[in-house]
Amino acid sequence: IGLSPPGVVPFVALLLLQRRPVAGRALLGTGSACPTNGLCRANVQEQTRRQVALLNATAQDLFSLYLKCQGEPFSSESDRLCSPSGIFFPPFHVNRTTERKEVMVAMYKLFAFLNASLGNITRDQEELNPTAKELLDRLHNTTKTTRGLISNLTCLLCKHYNIFQVDVSYGESSKGKSAFKKKQQGCQVLRKYVQVIAQAARVLLPHLSPA
Amino acid sequence: MWTNPNLRCLLALAILCLTSFVHSREIGSQGDPQNLKCVTHNLRKMVCTWDISSKRRHGQTEFCYTTECFKTKEKRVEIPVPESSTTVKITTYSISGTAFTTRRFEIHKKDISFVPLTPRILSLTPDFSTFTLTLKWSDNGSAFPYGLDASWEIEILRKETMEDVTRESYNSKLTHEDIIHSWNWKSDMPLECTSHYVRIRHYINITQFDGHKDWSDWSPVEVVPGKDTEPSGSGLFPQDTVVAVGSNVTFCCVHEEGRQVQRMSYGAKDYPLIRLSSRSSAIRVLNANASDASGTNIVCRMSENGMDGTVLFVGYGPDVPEDLSCETSNFVIIKCTWKPGRASGLYGVRGTKYSLIESISGKNVSCEVNEMKKERICGFPVLADQKTYSFVLGVSNPIGQTEASLLVDLNQRVNPETPEKLTVSGNSSTSVRLHWFINGSFAEIRLLCQIEISSGHSEQKLHNVSMPGGKFSTYTAQLNALHPYTKYRFRVRCSAADHFWRWSDWSGTEEHTTLEAPPARGPDIWRERSPSGKSLRIFWKVDRKLKMSVWSLMDFFVVFVADNVKTDRAVAMGNGIYISWNSYPNMTCGYIVKWCHSSGSEPCSVDWQKFPSNTTDAVIKSALFRPGVRYNFSLYGCKSSGYQLLKNITGYTKELPPKRAPNFTVEETSSDSILVKWEDMPIEDCQGFLEGYRLSFAKGEKDALKPRLLESGNPELKVKNITDLTKKSLKILDLQGKTSYQLDLQAYTAGGLSPPNSLYVVTKEDSVGLIIAILIPVAVVVLLGVVASIFCYRKREWIKETFYPEIPNPENSKALQFQKNICEGNKSLKTLEMNPCTPNSVEVVETQSAAPKIEDTEMMSSKTDTIVPEDGSDSETENHVVVSYCPPIIEEEISNPPMDEPVGLSQVVYIDIQSMYQPQIKPEEESEIDLVTTAGYKPQMQLPVSALKIESRSPAEEESDKTAGYRPQANTNAWNMDTPDSPGSVESNNENASFGSPCSINSRQFLLPPKDDEDSPKPSNTGWSFTHFFQNKPND
Repeated sequence: IGLSPPGVVPFVALLLLQRRPVAGRALLGTGSACPTNGLCRANVQEQTRRQVALLNATAQDLFSLYLKCQGEPFSSESDRLCSPSGIFFPPFHVNRTTERKEVMVAMYKLFAFLNASLGNITRDQEELNPTAKELLDRLHNTTKTTRGLISNLTCLLCKHYNIFQVDVSYGESSKGKSAFKKKQQGCQVLRKYVQVIAQAARVLLPHLSPA
Repeated sequence: MWTNPNLRCLLALAILCLTSFVHSREIGSQGDPQNLKCVTHNLRKMVCTWDISSKRRHGQTEFCYTTECFKTKEKRVEIPVPESSTTVKITTYSISGTAFTTRRFEIHKKDISFVPLTPRILSLTPDFSTFTLTLKWSDNGSAFPYGLDASWEIEILRKETMEDVTRESYNSKLTHEDIIHSWNWKSDMPLECTSHYVRIRHYINITQFDGHKDWSDWSPVEVVPGKDTEPSGSGLFPQDTVVAVGSNVTFCCVHEEGRQVQRMSYGAKDYPLIRLSSRSSAIRVLNANASDASGTNIVCRMSENGMDGTVLFVGYGPDVPEDLSCETSNFVIIKCTWKPGRASGLYGVRGTKYSLIESISGKNVSCEVNEMKKERICGFPVLADQKTYSFVLGVSNPIGQTEASLLVDLNQRVNPETPEKLTVSGNSSTSVRLHWFINGSFAEIRLLCQIEISSGHSEQKLHNVSMPGGKFSTYTAQLNALHPYTKYRFRVRCSAADHFWRWSDWSGTEEHTTLEAPPARGPDIWRERSPSGKSLRIFWKVDRKLKMSVWSLMDFFVVFVADNVKTDRAVAMGNGIYISWNSYPNMTCGYIVKWCHSSGSEPCSVDWQKFPSNTTDAVIKSALFRPGVRYNFSLYGCKSSGYQLLKNITGYTKELPPKRAPNFTVEETSSDSILVKWEDMPIEDCQGFLEGYRLSFAKGEKDALKPRLLESGNPELKVKNITDLTKKSLKILDLQGKTSYQLDLQAYTAGGLSPPNSLYVVTKEDSVGLIIAILIPVAVVVLLGVVASIFCYRKREWIKETFYPEIPNPENSKALQFQKNICEGNKSLKTLEMNPCTPNSVEVVETQSAAPKIEDTEMMSSKTDTIVPEDGSDSETENHVVVSYCPPIIEEEISNPPMDEPVGLSQVVYIDIQSMYQPQIKPEEESEIDLVTTAGYKPQMQLPVSALKIESRSPAEEESDKTAGYRPQANTNAWNMDTPDSPGSVESNNENASFGSPCSINSRQFLLPPKDDEDSPKPSNTGWSFTHFFQNKPND
């Protein structure tokens, strides 16, 4: 990934701790300013684009597998059960004409939220579906990619816009909820994720294409 | 008496007074107390109540029992329960204080009723997770004597309408104390679904109480309100419940006011709704199946797109652990393992939990197990000064619990840790020391360690060492009796020595080479003089390794060689060669058997073996011996003056079939014999002692498609076995001439037959027989020709007269009589008349218009014979020129060629050789034929047929008939291609049958020269041939 490890670990720790529906301020670096050097690698833009493309390519399969592992009627009535209308999801109102800085910030907020939500979903599924190895593997892989993506976005924000602090909302934690609610919440998040990641891939492409 | 007026007057007064008294009492009874009832709740005091009959206002009532009286305004008093009976007096007073009436009641104990006090529910507590209600109440036992039996009835009601759900009984004993009882009831539906109500009453069974005993009144109901009573209560219940497979579960959907439940599903299936209240509906799932790992979803769909859900986990209770076993590997931790049995189907927080409880010490540990593994492991710390452990493995999950137990003497369950850090040391050629470390405290037991020793040229050996155990110690063992300068590999494993349980795993392998050591004895020597006699080769063996050196010949030793050293054959025995010899008394220092290994082109390497003097046989073995290789052994005897060659021996460790057959050639062939010769085979090709040859032969071409000669099933196969090895040739006799034979030659040993060598030989032709076969027929033909020529020459006049008179006179011609003679015997015939010897196939057509019918005319032919007038003169007088009628012949009836010739109805038959074969006309048909008599030359054309039609003629033939030019007067179609002796010819009896080749009729004119005999017609043609002869004399 494009970000050096010291910059990633505190952020991830912050995400993992933030399981409640809170609006937090994620620190992109360890200090109060961007690191002066050693932050980004040369191909971070391309790598970021590929990470988004990878997430976009795997999102639908992840969602389908998730539905299958939750049992009926999740597969047959996913539209009604997984309607994301009742849950929080960070707004992603950007398009190709949006300023690149805004796109980067929106992306950061989106993937920060997704990273936390995927952590919750993974934890819930490890409890509910410990035998669903493929689903767990996909969730782990998606979470890892998201984490790497956040690191790269952190790098880009710091390097190009000197942004080292972004307000993010992590949504509602599923901890303590009933099994059905956990299933449903994961389903709602992943359904929205499938929709948004496609949009993100479209939007991010011109902004991250090599000049 | 009744007549006395005074008496009458007194009686009337008395009646009046009595009547007055009675009236006064009734008046007084208007305020009488009545219906006195006494009820006791505690057997000590009773409550007596009564009614007052009058409705007149009254004041206080005085109640007197025993010696006590008191006034009360109520109609109820509480007084002690009498021992047996008591009399009470109840006096009612008016408001002004005037006594109305006084009434006495006798109260007996049996008239007193015993009704316990109405119980009061102390608490009703719901447990929503388990659908359980817990009811608590006091039995008020302090009011009763000790030991009374009490019965309780608890009634459960549900829904807003308070429908009865169940009425349960509960029994207890009163202990003369106020005891608070607790009772649980598990609902079949979640308590959230709707409100549940509970009330209780009781009954005390006092046997010594004579009065009436009755249940108490019901207590006031206690209620557990359902979620549907809460203003904002909603949800699908139960939430995340775990039940056993086969359970019946009720799910309810509580929603807000105004909404409607549309449907509820369990998994993928909808269930019928049960209405509980306006805000609550339920479904009931019977005999639930095991759910998936993530549980079975229950979803409630409500109006306005409302939806709620829950998950039910259906699984099994824990199975009894199997194969519980505990052992220690280090006396620090006891490791217990078991198999969990049937999977519960529950995971995560609902999964099966294990705990290991040691009963003697009372300690227990919780076991962290991996649900995905088949075998579970749990560790328990070894306790000081405790060798016996009584383990109880507790197993539980949300559905149930079970356990397994095991009593263990730890010293008998030792499976030591794998030895590590194995090192080998030693500065000896025959011994080493091994050191290894075992991570464990084995101070209280002895260890038995096993050392595996392996080297390159010996099998693995196991060496056991017993030693006292130590605490995390290094152990040492010494190994002796090793071979010097040998590379060894060692590894170690250990177990408990006194109570073997299990071996540890093997340690890693360590290698060590022992030091070199001086040779234990001198080399074994042999020597050989070179063929030239000028040098000596000395061989010696050190530890089975053969070495050689060449020395100049000196007087090292003397070998005596006998003049006639015989050569024996040795016998194979096992993987060696058995050699025996006679005992030679003068061989005082033993025997030596020497042999030579030859490998390819290299000179053979000498080897030998020494035997003591009392030995007379030996089995010589060598790793270099190969089957099928001949080895030559020399037996030397040792005596004081030197070695003496006693005999030579050849042998094989195993005889094999010869590699190939000997080469053989055919030296000589005749018409009935073949001489074959073969060569000797090299010894190396024999691969055994040659025992003979096998020559197989049979007729056969050099054809790959034919079966091989040696294959079974060839009936002509002949085999000759040659056991005389000096014989190198063989003559095969009794063969057929000019025949191809296949010869296979094989050599054989005790090991079997070699592959065959094949040759194909063709025997010569038998020339004498051939010559005889040719000459005899030629001679016969010549002889016959000569005889025929002589005969013809001598009979030439007769032949001429008969066949070819100079002036053919039909009346005088004998040639024209032979038919008559043949057919009618010796009747004289003056004119040539076509006798009835007509062709066989004739059809007589009676009418001109009708088509002739084809029949087999063989019988007609004979009939024709019969109708020929026997008196030839008749015929003669009628016709000088015999006109013969010949009916149309159908082509299919072709046995008689002349009849096939189309004949006109009035055809003149010329009397010549040719006309002899014209079809004959039946006499009876003559009149019907319009004869056209013509004389002279008869053109060889088809005459027109006017009266009869030949039906069977094909259009092609008809067309052919129309063509002009020369035409043979015989039906060429009827030329019989058969030979004269063919059945067709015989059957047809056709005089005109040819020899099978078509020929012109004209060529049949016999032009024989005139004969001296005047009777004989003179031939006009001198030409003659065999063919003509046979044709014209078919019956001769």
